[in-house]
Amino acid sequence: MATRMFGMPVQRTEDERLITGKGGYLDDLGAGAYAAAFVRSPHAHARVRDIDVTGALDVEGLVAVYTHEDLSGPMAEPLPLLIPHPAILDGRTPYALAKEYVHYVGEPVVMVVARDRYVAEDAVGRIAVDYETLDPVVGIEAAARAERVVHAGMSDNVAAHLVQEVGDARAAIAAAPNRIELDLDIERSACTPMEGRGVYARWDGRDAMLRLYSSTQTASGVRAAVAAKLGLQLGQVEVVVPDVGGGFGVKIVHPWPEELMVPWAARALGHEVKWAEDRREHFTAAAHERAQRQHVTVGFDDEGRLLGLDVDILHDNGAYLPYGIIVPIVTSTQLLGPYKPGAYRVEFRSLYTTTAIVTPYRGAGRPQGVFAMERTMDAIAAHLGMDRADVRAANFIQPEEMPYDQGLLFQDGRPLIYDSGDYPASLEKIKKLVGWDDFTAYRDAARAEGRKVGIGLACYVEGTGPGPYEGGHVQVETSGKVRVATGLTTQGQGHQTALAQIVADELGVPMSDISVTTGDTRRMPYSVGTFASRGAVMSGSAVALAARRLKEKALRIAADALEADAEDLEIVDGRVQVRGTPSAGIELGTVAVLSNPLRYAFDEASKAATQFTGAADYTRPPVAADDEPGLEGTDFYSPLRSTFASGMHAVVVETDPETAEIRILRYCVVHDCGKLVNPLIVEGQVHGGVAQGVAGALYERMEYDSGGQLLNASFMDFLMPYASEVPKVEIDHLETPSPLNPLGIKGAGEAGVIPGAAVIAAAVEDAEGFAITRMPVSPSELFHLRRRFDKGGIAPLPGAYSRTGEANA
Amino acid sequence: MEFLSPATWEEALAAKSERPDAVPIMGGTDVMVEINFDRRRPPALIDLTRVPGLREWRADGDGVRLGAGVPYTGIVDALGGAAPALAAAARSVASPQIRNRGSVGGNLGGASPAGDAHPPLLATDAVVELASVGGVRRVPAREFYLGPRRTARRDDELIAAVLLPAPAGPQRFAKVGTRNAMVIAVVSFALALDARSRTVGTGIGSAGPTPLRAPGAEEFAAAEFDWEGGAPLPESAVHRFGELVAAAARPIDDVRGSAGYRRHALAVLARRALARAAADYREGGARCA
Ligand SMILES: Cc1cc2nc3c(=O)[nH]c(=O)nc-3n(C[C@H](O)[C@H](O)[C@H](O)COP(=O)(O)OP(=O)(O)OC[C@H]3O[C@@H](n4cnc5c(N)ncnc54)[C@H](O)[C@@H]3O)c2cc1C
Repeated sequence: MATRMFGMPVQRTEDERLITGKGGYLDDLGAGAYAAAFVRSPHAHARVRDIDVTGALDVEGLVAVYTHEDLSGPMAEPLPLLIPHPAILDGRTPYALAKEYVHYVGEPVVMVVARDRYVAEDAVGRIAVDYETLDPVVGIEAAARAERVVHAGMSDNVAAHLVQEVGDARAAIAAAPNRIELDLDIERSACTPMEGRGVYARWDGRDAMLRLYSSTQTASGVRAAVAAKLGLQLGQVEVVVPDVGGGFGVKIVHPWPEELMVPWAARALGHEVKWAEDRREHFTAAAHERAQRQHVTVGFDDEGRLLGLDVDILHDNGAYLPYGIIVPIVTSTQLLGPYKPGAYRVEFRSLYTTTAIVTPYRGAGRPQGVFAMERTMDAIAAHLGMDRADVRAANFIQPEEMPYDQGLLFQDGRPLIYDSGDYPASLEKIKKLVGWDDFTAYRDAARAEGRKVGIGLACYVEGTGPGPYEGGHVQVETSGKVRVATGLTTQGQGHQTALAQIVADELGVPMSDISVTTGDTRRMPYSVGTFASRGAVMSGSAVALAARRLKEKALRIAADALEADAEDLEIVDGRVQVRGTPSAGIELGTVAVLSNPLRYAFDEASKAATQFTGAADYTRPPVAADDEPGLEGTDFYSPLRSTFASGMHAVVVETDPETAEIRILRYCVVHDCGKLVNPLIVEGQVHGGVAQGVAGALYERMEYDSGGQLLNASFMDFLMPYASEVPKVEIDHLETPSPLNPLGIKGAGEAGVIPGAAVIAAAVEDAEGFAITRMPVSPSELFHLRRRFDKGGIAPLPGAYSRTGEANA
Repeated sequence: MEFLSPATWEEALAAKSERPDAVPIMGGTDVMVEINFDRRRPPALIDLTRVPGLREWRADGDGVRLGAGVPYTGIVDALGGAAPALAAAARSVASPQIRNRGSVGGNLGGASPAGDAHPPLLATDAVVELASVGGVRRVPAREFYLGPRRTARRDDELIAAVLLPAPAGPQRFAKVGTRNAMVIAVVSFALALDARSRTVGTGIGSAGPTPLRAPGAEEFAAAEFDWEGGAPLPESAVHRFGELVAAAARPIDDVRGSAGYRRHALAVLARRALARAAADYREGGARCA
C-alpha cells in the first residue's frame, strides 16, 4: 500500500512556481487590452451636479469616457444586495458609476478607457466633476447619533437591526449575584492583499461570448452577476480566475463596479479591456472591516459561571451594504466561543457611514466577537480574584455535550450547533505550552527588575465550511494523468497541494500525476466561492466524493478487462491490480482508454478502444444505458451545517515602562481543525493569521478624518507588521474530527487571526494593571492610558498590580 | 515632464541654473513617492545618478567628505567609526532596498522633519556643501533648516556633499518608530559629546516643523558633564537634560503619535542617550578624546 498522503506535511507544490516569478496574475494578462481608469469621488458625501469631460477629449490615445448616463437596463440599476436578510431595514448598494450621489471618497464616477493606463490616467486628470458637497458621517458615534444621514430618504443611518435571544438574559443578569458592564471598541482595518483587485474582459462578438478574468474569490458568483447585469445567458459568460495574490475576504465581494464596467465596456467597444487596481484605490475604494462598539452586560455566579449575557453592538458597515450583514451576524453568534452563556441576548445595529464599505476580512466579525467575550471573561476573573483560565474552564461546553446547540441561527441561515470539540483538553495544552502556571513567578521577577510583562489567554470557536455546496470533478486521461477541478478559487491557501493529497489517497495515484484547477467556470460551473474557511472542507470533501465515483467506475471497467471481481481490485501507484497478485493488473490510463469506446484511433493507446479491437460483447451497446464514456467522476458535497473548529492562543508581552512600546515575547497557539490534511499548510495558515491578528491588535487602523478622508492610505502610514514585528509562533494541535463530512476535517484558514486583539489586550492589561478596552493600542495610546491611570482616571484592576509594583487589594 | 540626464557635475549645475524649477533626483525614494501620490508634477527632473563622484566619500582633513548621493548602505558599511551617529541613523532607515538607494543628499533635499539623517548632522555640527554655477557655499547643518521643508539651499543650487567632522567623543542616535522596521520616526534624537571643545551637540527629529536642536539642554549637559573622568551623571541631571530636550521640541498630534507622547518619548530617548554616552565616554574615553 502506498504511503497515505492525507495528514502528511507535504511541501506545497504550487510554491516553486509562485516564488520563482512564474505565477500568472491578472495584470500579467491582456497585454493588448485597452486600459481602464476611474474618476473617483474626492468627497465623502456629495451630489454630482455636472460632469465635464471636454478637457479629456483631445488626449491622444483616449478611447471612451462613460458616465452613469451611458448605462441602461440592469447596468443602470444599483448593484445587487448579495445576501438578503429579513433584518435589513434599508439595504443600499452602489451603482456601477455614481448616479446622483457619492457616499465615500473613492467611489467611481466616470470610467475612462484608453490605449494604456498612462493615457487613461491623464484623461482622468482632465475630467471636471462639479460636486455639491454634503455633510459626511464618519465613525460609529456620528452614525448612531444620526444628526446627519448618509442616504437620502432615510431618517437615520440604521441599515439593519437584529435581536437574537436564548432565554431571558436580562432577568438572569438582574438575578445574578455578580454583574459587570463593559464598553469595548475596535477600529477598522483591512485585508490589504499584495495584489489588489483586477478585471480583464474579452468579448468575442462572433460567438457572442464573454471571457472574463477576475482576481476574485468567486468565479461562479462573478459569472452569474455579470451575466445578469449585462443581459447575457449564463452560457455566454466564462469566468477564469488566474493566480491571485491574496484575498483575505475582500475579493469575495462581487460584482464590484469595476467588475461590471470592464466587461460592459469590452462588449461596447468590441475590444479587450483591463483594469488593475492601484494601491491607493485599494485603500479607499475596496473594503474594510472590524469597526464595532460593544456594550456588554454580564451576570455570573461566585464560581465565575455565566448566568446571563447581554451584548449590544454598533457595527459600522460603511457607505453601502452589498454583502448584507454577514459580519455582525458572525460577531453576534461566534461571540459565544466555547462557552455556555446561560441566557443570551444579542442585539446589533448595522450603521451607514460615508466611508469605504465593510465586508468580511479574514475572521469576518469573529475577532470582534472574541474580543467581547474574552474581555468579559478576564473582567469576571478580575472581579472574583480568580485565575483567568479557571473562569474559562468553568464555562466550557464539555466534550460529552457535543453536538451542542447554542439555540441561535448562524451566518449560513442554519442552526448554530457545534459538531465536536474538546475545549478542556485544548486549555490544558495551551497552559502547558505557554507555562501558564509558572508565569506569576516570572512576572514578579521581571517586575523586581523594573520590567513590565504580562500574559493573556483567549479562546474561540469558529464556524467553518458553510454550504450550500461545492463540487469536484476528477478525470483520468489516457496518459494516466489525473485532472481535478473544483469551482472555488484559490489565493494562496495551497489548494493545489491539499486537494491533490486527498485525490491521491482516494484513487491510489501519485501526487505528481495530479493537477488541480480552481476557479474556472469552464471546468466546474457549479460553485459558491472561497470564504469562511471552507476550501478544504467543501472542495476537499467534494473531490474526495468525485474520486470515489471515478474509482468505482475504474474498478468496474478493470474488473471486466482483467476478468476479476471488482471487490478484489485495488489501485496502487496508478495501476489497478488484483489484491495479492500485483502482476495481474492494468494501468489507470489504459482503463481510461477502455472507458471511451472509439471509432477513430489517433495514437497507439487509443487503438485499443476502437471498434475492431478486442472481444466485443454483441449483447450490449458500447456504452451502457446507465453509463457514460470517459473515466471521470463528478460529485457535490453539501453539508448539513457548518463545522466548528476551535483554538486557544496565549501570548506574553513586555511593555516598555518609559516609551510604552509593546513587544511580544511569546505567541502560543493550540489549534483544532479536526483531521489535518496537511499540517505544514495548516501551520502556514496559522502563522499568516497570527500576523494579521498582531496587525489588528498593535498596528493597523484606518485613519479617517472627520471629513471622511482616509489619512493613511498607503503602506507608509498604514502599518502592516513585517517579519520584524511578527513573533515566532509556537503551535500545538488537537484533532477532534468533524462528524459532518467524509474526511473529518474542519476549516483552518482564519483561525490564526481570530483571537489576536483579545489575547494581546489581555496580556497588555496584565502587564499594566488596568483594563484595556480599545484595540488596536499603539505606544502613544498606551502612554496616554498610563497617564490617565496615574491620575486616577482609570480604576486599577482588582487583584492586579499598581504602577508602583504593589498588589492592590 | 522633461527628464534631464547630465553626465557631469558641471552639466548638472548648468541644468539647475537654467531650470531652477527642475527637481533633482538621486535615489528617488522621496521623489518617486511624491510623483506616484500625485503630490507634485515637476516640469522637469534632473537625474543625478550618472554624475561621477556624488556616490563617493573620502577623508577630508580629520573628517569625512560624504558625497550627497552615497546611499545609506554605504554609510552603514564604511562610516561606523568616522560618523557613528549618522551611521546608526542610516542603519535605522527603512529597509535594505531603500537603504541601497536613499541618500543623505536626498534627505537634506527633501528636509522632512522626520528625516533620520538630520539629528546626527545637527548634533555633530556637520556642514552642507552647496554648489551652483556661481560657486560653492558651505552652510553648517545648524543653519540649514529654515522652515517646514525650507532650507538654505537656493533654487539654482545642488547639494554636493556633507562634511562630517571627526568624532571627538561618543555619539548616539535613537528613534521611536511605530514598528521595528520601515518606519517614519515618531521621534528621533541624536547626541554627540565633543571632548575637544567640551561641548554637547543635540538633534531632534519628527518633533517640530524642522529638525531641531536643544541649545538649553546642550549647555546644561556640557556644564554638568565630568569631562575629565566621565563620572556617571546624577539621576537628577539626566532627568533635567531630558526635560530640556523635550522642552525644545515643538511636536504636533498626527497619525503616528500625539504631541504629548512625542515629548515624553523624546525625554526618554534623551535621558537614555546621555546616560549611555557617558558610559561610553568612561569606557572608551581614550579612544575618542
Ligand atoms: C518605503 C520608504 C521608507 C522610508 N523610510 C525612511 C526612514 O526610515 N527615514 C528617513 O529619513 N527617510 C525615509 N524615507 C525617505 C527617503 O528614503 C529619504 O528621505 C532618503 O534620504 C531620500 O534620498 P534619495 O536619494 O532617495 O532622494 P530623492 O528622492 O532622489 O530626493 C529627495 C529630495 O531631495 C532632492 N535632492 C536629491 N538630491 C539632491 C541634490 N544633490 N541636491 C539638491 N537636491 C537634491 C530631490 O529633489 C528631492 O526633493 C523612506 C522612503 C520610503 C519610500
